[in-house]
Amino acid sequence: MESSVEQVGNVTLVRVSGSVDGLTADSLQTTFREQVDAGAVRLVGDLGGVEYTSSAGLRALLATLKLARQRGGDLRLAAVQPAVFRVLELSGFTTILKLFPDVDAAVKSFGA
Amino acid sequence: MTRRVALVIGAGSVKCAAALGLWRALNRHGIELSMVVGCSGGSLYAALMALGYDLETCERMTRQLWTREVTSERNTRGILAAIFPRLFRFDGKFGMVHDRAMGKALAGPYGGRTFADATIPLHVVATDLENGQRVVLSEGSIFDAVRASIAIPYVWRPWQVNGRWLMDGCMSDPLPVDVAMREGADVILAMGFESPYPRKVKSATRYAFQVNSIYTNNLLRANFAFHNLAHHAEIIPILPEFDRQIGLFSTDQIPYVIEEGERATEAQIPYLKRLLAELDAR
Repeated sequence: MESSVEQVGNVTLVRVSGSVDGLTADSLQTTFREQVDAGAVRLVGDLGGVEYTSSAGLRALLATLKLARQRGGDLRLAAVQPAVFRVLELSGFTTILKLFPDVDAAVKSFGA
Repeated sequence: MTRRVALVIGAGSVKCAAALGLWRALNRHGIELSMVVGCSGGSLYAALMALGYDLETCERMTRQLWTREVTSERNTRGILAAIFPRLFRFDGKFGMVHDRAMGKALAGPYGGRTFADATIPLHVVATDLENGQRVVLSEGSIFDAVRASIAIPYVWRPWQVNGRWLMDGCMSDPLPVDVAMREGADVILAMGFESPYPRKVKSATRYAFQVNSIYTNNLLRANFAFHNLAHHAEIIPILPEFDRQIGLFSTDQIPYVIEEGERATEAQIPYLKRLLAELDAR
């Protein structure tokens, strides 16, 4: 898994690619946590390049979501691919996470 | 450390045959299972694998188990008892379909076999009719366990095991990864399915299937979310993708279902191998 961070207006965009699983989820969670700790609580996760997530990936996303919302922000996901969407849906995460078809829509949803 | 890999096969009728494709992929890559857990339709395959049947035999048995014949005979007395409970002495257990044909089909692979015969530890999930509790069957008759686990509400009568009346495991735990967690699994391969909806609801039996699928699917999502967050190690969802509708009795689609199960598993094999290597090195 690889991730990169960029700023789009007042939104922090984390682009993720590869597999978010038991071997990589900690790294992704650390990336998100560092942003939140630095005050960047309006987060968009671009999952357009993520082909798979396991339970560890779900835990990382949920932990980030809780942290961001506790600090007054949110984690919103963009461009979720079908295989990942199915796992999110099966685990009920689509009911608590805000998903958008692309990065632009996710960023704009913050009023940026 | 000794890592334990569990396979959990959830409810999902004919779709559960995808587990045979998963098994084929695991065998090809030499990945051994420490336990198999099955619920409802998944219990059919969990039990076949645990009993050591080869893949070809499993596929043949699938065709024999999933036939329209198993739902073709109405349980006339049961239906009359439901409508006229006093006259026909409704006994608190009900199924619209007579279980004679199903019992005959199950007797082939599971008759006379016990959990002690299993080459891989096996756990089968059912639901207690009296109190709704999930029941995990790990000893005794495999026939009884499977018959109880697939006792779809309103369709087949519950089944008595050790004095308890049990019904379909999908009522309490459609994808029982928690059983594998409790049994000490480090890595859980979770093959789950949303239960299919009948193409047309044109009979009371189909209506029962429809209603069962609705609440089973909602329960599946709720439980799976909780289990994903509760497990300390890793749950690897293996979710075959079907490009066509797989109905309740789409037995003609079984080879395709198996193939998709194999494909979905193959996609996770590289990660699974890396994960197991990491766990072995700890």
